[in-house]
Amino acid sequence: MNGAGTYLATRDLAKRFGGIVATEQVSLDIAEGELRCIIGPNGAGKSTLFALLCGIHRPDSGRIFIKEQDVTSLPSFRRVRLGVGLTFQTNRAFHDLNVRQNLEVPMGATGSATHSRSARSEDRYRYALSVFGLDGLRETPARELPHHQLQWLEIAMVLSGGPDILLLDEPTAGMSPEETTQTARVLQHLNDDGLTIVVVEHDIAFVRQVAQRVTVLHQGSVFAEGSIDEITAHDDVRRIYLGQA
Amino acid sequence: MKRLFRLATGPEDIGRSPGFWGAFAVLILYLFASPLWLGEFEAYNISFYLLNLPLALGLCLLWGYCGVLSFGQVAYFGIAGYVYGIIAGNLVGTGWGPIAGELGGLAACVVVSAVFGYFVFYARVQAWIVPILTLVLTLLLETFLGQTAGYQWRVGNVQLGGYNGMTGIPSFQVGNLVFYGYAFYYFVLVAVVLCYFACRMVVNSHFGKVMLAIREDPLRAELLGYDIRARQLGVFVLASVLAGISGLFYVQWGNYITPSQVGLVSAALPVIWVAVGGRTSLLAVAISTYALNWVNYSLSSAGNQYALVIIGALLVIVMLFFPRGIVVMLAEAGFRGSLARLRAALRLG
Repeated sequence: MNGAGTYLATRDLAKRFGGIVATEQVSLDIAEGELRCIIGPNGAGKSTLFALLCGIHRPDSGRIFIKEQDVTSLPSFRRVRLGVGLTFQTNRAFHDLNVRQNLEVPMGATGSATHSRSARSEDRYRYALSVFGLDGLRETPARELPHHQLQWLEIAMVLSGGPDILLLDEPTAGMSPEETTQTARVLQHLNDDGLTIVVVEHDIAFVRQVAQRVTVLHQGSVFAEGSIDEITAHDDVRRIYLGQA
Repeated sequence: MKRLFRLATGPEDIGRSPGFWGAFAVLILYLFASPLWLGEFEAYNISFYLLNLPLALGLCLLWGYCGVLSFGQVAYFGIAGYVYGIIAGNLVGTGWGPIAGELGGLAACVVVSAVFGYFVFYARVQAWIVPILTLVLTLLLETFLGQTAGYQWRVGNVQLGGYNGMTGIPSFQVGNLVFYGYAFYYFVLVAVVLCYFACRMVVNSHFGKVMLAIREDPLRAELLGYDIRARQLGVFVLASVLAGISGLFYVQWGNYITPSQVGLVSAALPVIWVAVGGRTSLLAVAISTYALNWVNYSLSSAGNQYALVIIGALLVIVMLFFPRGIVVMLAEAGFRGSLARLRAALRLG
């Protein structure tokens, strides 16, 4: 079904909410170790695609594969245990818990990669903690963190579970250019270390900094796919997404 | 041992300073020594205030730490009490009947709560519906027990007794030692202290952290790899067993139980005890449960018909002025005050 080295694949994934088509015939192949950005205008189906990938919604049709295993009917927590980590578009760190508690919760999810969290995952987690400056804030309630650090906390939290693939839904929303650059640097480092990353993002500058390949979603379907240069040079993409003639 | 100590004294409850543990030790010593100057009747009354603590601690775990409000924990209180009455009542004179009754009562709690909880949590019933379903279960139980008057409603030698309830339930007994008076007081005291420490260990364990995460955001917790349905079910069964322990103590204390023990008023009381103290702290709930039972019992036994009205009014006042619970908010204010004093002293120094 999916090619060698493919970590995550979807085939003809479709989801409707009532009469609204959220995704239609979405087929993707994310290679192991890839850093893929998914872009598209509002309502293109990006967040729905993520919700389908991690099991929040069940597709009406189509299949999802993780490491060639069909996970379409698996509940969310089982997909996480297969190595999927996800951050939400709206920050969902546990605001009433402190940083330490937030980071400890994912450690020990029964049967997850965490139990045998590899030295590599441990290194990635430690790296993120120190670069994000969360090390010295362990007893700080999450609700007292500034916005960008709350975003970083959620990424670190997911990393503490030792995922093999990171799905990030607009990780830099609301961040300053410096914070965005910092986030991009961390993601690139993690990707260089072998972590597969898929990012949904609006910020083209950020996409330019990190993406190896870009998928453009439009009206629930894959509209174009290629390198960032190919995508930004694509006339139709410029028209629908970048608002240029 | 070190690990157990760390779990019992961990950060997920108020009361962590050496000063607190000193005061706690003094309180326990006082309670253990108090039969020296208390009459047997007073000790028996204190047993009553104490015996409700496991029920309240269970609800605190379930509601305050795991975010699941059950309005029907007294169902398990009643199930354990009635099953104990049936088993121990049929085995009178054997010496081991009460132990079999206790095991049977708790086993019944586990089975009923596991089956009921399975349908509630595995069906992913929305959080706001759970209190209604749990209340319905306990009211159904009350209705059923209420119509069991008549000789035909008996199990072996024991009659269920309809609204008059089951009477003549044997006290707890191990061999020839009958737990009555002071012995019952010590039995309840030891059990309640053990329940409190067990609950503290649960909330300070990794399981406890996951409970907090589920309370905060169930979807986020699930997307960190946890089967939240199984976790919620586990806490629900644990809370039901704790309610069952209180039910066992209750029937051993008064030697009777009536369907009103699983009725609407009884169902509301544990929610009030937990809300008044502060549902996010086991210690706060233990304090408020003891205090409110003392108030309720003292007012009722003095012939005051308004005991429940006063308790209800207290709930309204607490909800308005201490939304997170009196004990929790006072403890936080005290802690902040101490910090401010410490800062001021450092500045002066």
